Amino acid sequence: MVSYVIRRLLGLIPTLFIITVIVFSLMHLMPGNAFQALVGLNPHIKDAAKVIAQRMANSGLNLSWPQQYVNWIVNLLHGNLGTSFEFQQPVTTLIGTALPNTVTLALTAELIILIIGIPIGVFQANRVNKGFDISTSLFAVLLYSVPGFIFALFLIFIFSFTLNWLPSMGTVTAAVPWSGDLGDRIQHLILPATALALPSVAYYTRLMRANTLQVFFQDYVRTARAKGLRSGRVLFRHVLRNAIIPITTQFGFDIGGLVGGAVILEQIFTWPGMGELTINANLNRDYPVILATTLIFAVMVLLGNLIADILLASMDPRVRYN
Amino acid sequence: MAEPLLKVRNLKTYFISKEAQVKAVDGVDFDVAPGKVLGIVGESGSGKSMTSLSLMRLVPGPQGRIVEGEVTFEGTDLLKLTERQMSDVRGNRMGMIFQEPMTALNPVLKIGEQIGEVLIRHRRVSKAEAKKQSIGLLRSVGFPRAEQIVDEYPHQLSGGMRQRAMIAMAMACQPKLLIADEPTTALDVTIQAQVLDLMRSLKNKNGTAIILITHDLGVIAEMADDVVVMYGGQVVESATADAVFDDPLHPYTTALMESIPVIDQDRERLASIPGTVPSAANFPSGCRFAPRCAMAQESCHQRMPELRELKPGHYVRCDLV
Ligand SMILES: Nc1ncnc2c1ncn2[C@@H]1O[C@H](COP(=O)(O)OP(=O)(O)O)[C@@H](O)[C@H]1O
Ligand code: SF4
Ligand SMILES: [Mg+2]
Repeated sequence: MVSYVIRRLLGLIPTLFIITVIVFSLMHLMPGNAFQALVGLNPHIKDAAKVIAQRMANSGLNLSWPQQYVNWIVNLLHGNLGTSFEFQQPVTTLIGTALPNTVTLALTAELIILIIGIPIGVFQANRVNKGFDISTSLFAVLLYSVPGFIFALFLIFIFSFTLNWLPSMGTVTAAVPWSGDLGDRIQHLILPATALALPSVAYYTRLMRANTLQVFFQDYVRTARAKGLRSGRVLFRHVLRNAIIPITTQFGFDIGGLVGGAVILEQIFTWPGMGELTINANLNRDYPVILATTLIFAVMVLLGNLIADILLASMDPRVRYN
Repeated sequence: MAEPLLKVRNLKTYFISKEAQVKAVDGVDFDVAPGKVLGIVGESGSGKSMTSLSLMRLVPGPQGRIVEGEVTFEGTDLLKLTERQMSDVRGNRMGMIFQEPMTALNPVLKIGEQIGEVLIRHRRVSKAEAKKQSIGLLRSVGFPRAEQIVDEYPHQLSGGMRQRAMIAMAMACQPKLLIADEPTTALDVTIQAQVLDLMRSLKNKNGTAIILITHDLGVIAEMADDVVVMYGGQVVESATADAVFDDPLHPYTTALMESIPVIDQDRERLASIPGTVPSAANFPSGCRFAPRCAMAQESCHQRMPELRELKPGHYVRCDLV
């Protein structure tokens, strides 16, 4: 198992390299230029053309693309992501505050998805085509077919605006003694994480229901019953142990997707995460930030796939022994 | 004959849906004597598997249902037990092995756990004790490296080894009855013989009665003390193996025997019975074998024959013998 993980990690290196090339090329294909936006449009700056040229030179943007790429990679390997054109701060600092917020949001959403989606799917499969199954299945289709941001607005309207139970902005309450307490943070997490989770809850419910139903009809489940095992053991040890395998894989794949999905919801909930940083950077052509955030999203996807593979190998001996 | 271990009377198992009523098992009677091998033979689709699953009350629901009958095992009608009481019988006093050793074992659990959980369930032994006994059981079904096999997964074993592991599992609690549904059909010929040998030696050692289901009369000839021939969800002939082989009475049994593979000019030839097994959703109204029977008369198509005792202990469902 350990050697499997090490092999997989080494296998990521070429992929990462290719990703840096793609990210770098894509960014340079975007129209516009950072200093055009920052300087050119500012009426107080005289002789804008000269200032732009000066600042481009300072940032190394006048070099050839391959040279710029090499500089970026060398800095990257030293843990230096450059300095934001817009904020005049190291990109690592900006990401250092934004990334944990986004990861917290995404992981909380994953937790909600698993805790709600899996049991509902199993209950549905266990009493297939009975009242609970049919009603929750309809609800799941509804959840799944409505875009996440609609739920966000809906949740804000009900729980924040109308009932005033939960906050809908930021990560902490400002200017109160309990600001930033664990409880305060959790309260702020609930609505955005739920909005992010809801469409996937529906998807996981469907997936778990289908997997469980499929496993119910496997020969080895009949064998388990023929051994006289109690229905609880048959369900948990034989059915669910197999039905959960595709879920864990999906879970890994979704990590990258959820981080991406958080971008829009962060705007709605003014959540100071990667979403805000990314959108700003793209609007302002803040190259170092764009490069860094895009790279991080790509790494998240890779990491997710890696986690999916590791989970799969740990759950399925047929994969592990190949 | 001593009091039978298992008495099956008028067993009917149907698949009932809005569109159709499939009479998979339609009024089956037979006995299994303690410590003896009963062979059930018949072409594919004649209701053998559903009969055996009915005995274990494992008919696939919700459509499959035992609609009538009695299955008296060691004096108790199994069909009257609660599900919980029935689960105390399964794997404990009555074990079962299946045709496909490839799919009948759970792919993600170790062999040792799959055998051990039977002992934990019915014998209430500890995990460590279950593992120890699993090793002993694996050894008794002929595994040389039993200590390692307990920690291996099904995909690491060959088909024949998996069927041995299944047998070890089914025999773990030394059941009085082992039901084997086509246990060797999926295996190579040489492995088939080994598995049959193993079943025979376990039977002799533990006094376990066996219901051996197969479509292969050769296997029956080798193993069975008594024989039930099934066709169209019914018993068409039942007697001792000697009686069936020396003096087959039902035209279907005769036809089956003529279809045993014969070596003919360097190639194996299966002289199969012309026609096909009738669909259990739509049986002919008279004798179910009539459309394919060489001896069929007009009357055969009108009236369903009863199972009659033509000689002591020799039952036949045919009006013309
Ligand atoms: N799940 C099912 N639903 C409907 N009919 C079934 C099902 N399983 C088996 N049958 C029918 O029951 C009959 C007997 O099947 P089976 O007992 O498997 O025969 P055998 O084991 O002798 O080949 C067949 O006609 C088959 O089509
Ligand atoms: S009753 Fe008639 S058709 Fe049926 S087996 Fe006997 S002879 Fe053949
Ligand atoms: Mg069968």
